[in-house]
Amino acid sequence: AGGGAYWVDSQQKRYVPVKGDHVIGIVTAKAGDVFRLDVGGSEPASLSYLAFEGATKRNRPNVQVGDLIYGQFVVANKDMEPEMVCIDSSGKSSGMGIIGQDGFLFKVSLGLIRKLLAPKCEIIQELSQLYPFELVLGMNGRIWVKAKTVQQTLIIVNILEACEYMTAEQRKQALAKLSGN
Amino acid sequence: MPRPGPAGSGRCARSRMPRQPLSPCVAGERLCSTEEATAGSGTYTRHGFIFSSLAGCLERKNEDNELPVVSVVRDSESQLLPNVGAVVTCKVCSINSRFAKVHILYVGSTPLKSTFRGTIRREDIRATEKDKVEVYKSFRPSDIVLAKVISLGDAQSNYLLSTAENELGVVVARSEAGVQMVPISWCEMQCPRTHTKEFRKVARVQPQFLQT
Repeated sequence: AGGGAYWVDSQQKRYVPVKGDHVIGIVTAKAGDVFRLDVGGSEPASLSYLAFEGATKRNRPNVQVGDLIYGQFVVANKDMEPEMVCIDSSGKSSGMGIIGQDGFLFKVSLGLIRKLLAPKCEIIQELSQLYPFELVLGMNGRIWVKAKTVQQTLIIVNILEACEYMTAEQRKQALAKLSGN
Repeated sequence: MPRPGPAGSGRCARSRMPRQPLSPCVAGERLCSTEEATAGSGTYTRHGFIFSSLAGCLERKNEDNELPVVSVVRDSESQLLPNVGAVVTCKVCSINSRFAKVHILYVGSTPLKSTFRGTIRREDIRATEKDKVEVYKSFRPSDIVLAKVISLGDAQSNYLLSTAENELGVVVARSEAGVQMVPISWCEMQCPRTHTKEFRKVARVQPQFLQT
């Protein structure tokens, strides 16, 4: 509960960095103490190597070019390049950090992400009854999925991509067919 | 009167008659000896003689007690360069979390023909609480700022400027709506149309410079 917020929901594919958003970034470069991440915006975001849980000058995080990072924006405005961190205000990582090996990263529209992030999303609940899987949703339109086998991963990826245009009925039919197999 | 030859030609260094003011000269031309006059702007001394370092007009100024000053000027008005300690008016072109880059437009009250580039570092924005300063809450691109030159910088780097005084800082700023904002305190400005407040490091302009 709290003061309500009004927003206008619209169909959008191009992401604009907003302070506080959790996004998935791809490390493109290491420049001294700072990593450059591609977050799908107009500029690459910067991430300091100290912005990880338990990171000190001696204990650097093991981040390579090409890694996936789940973090949130601390600075995001139209005049400066965005800055990300992988810790929250109390210094804990709370699920942020380097995303592990394997898995599959793909891009969807921003509207679908917002639908998936709504509390008690039906799509996620129905999918979790199909196979167990790990899922990371970035507000910049990027989703990372990992299931036990590559085939299961790809099935989940295809369903999530198709959810954009499927009605609830079609989705239930597709899942019923898959769990029947 | 034979013109003196180039330095080191072997001829005796005869001092010649001083030339009429505002006569043209080229770079490298030997003007007179240091016993007759003192070197001014646009000249340099070498081997006891004054040489011109610019291509322009020769000027002689007579001082009462000392030797006259010989200088070479390129244009009729001399290019005013910002000196250390001068108050300059500049426009912010880009900001960063560590500094703000500006174009210097005026030195004092004279406009510059070509703009110089300056940098205002994060620790030079305010005099107190320097570590808590956020550049985004002090300046934005296209703000007009009064600053003081603290260093000329090297060949590649820009002038270093500082706004760490009450009279320095943002004088003119536009809000997100595009309307010129009104200062309400030393750290906030308000847009008259949307009434939103934005953070800036506002200058306390002396009353005699305000035009109402």
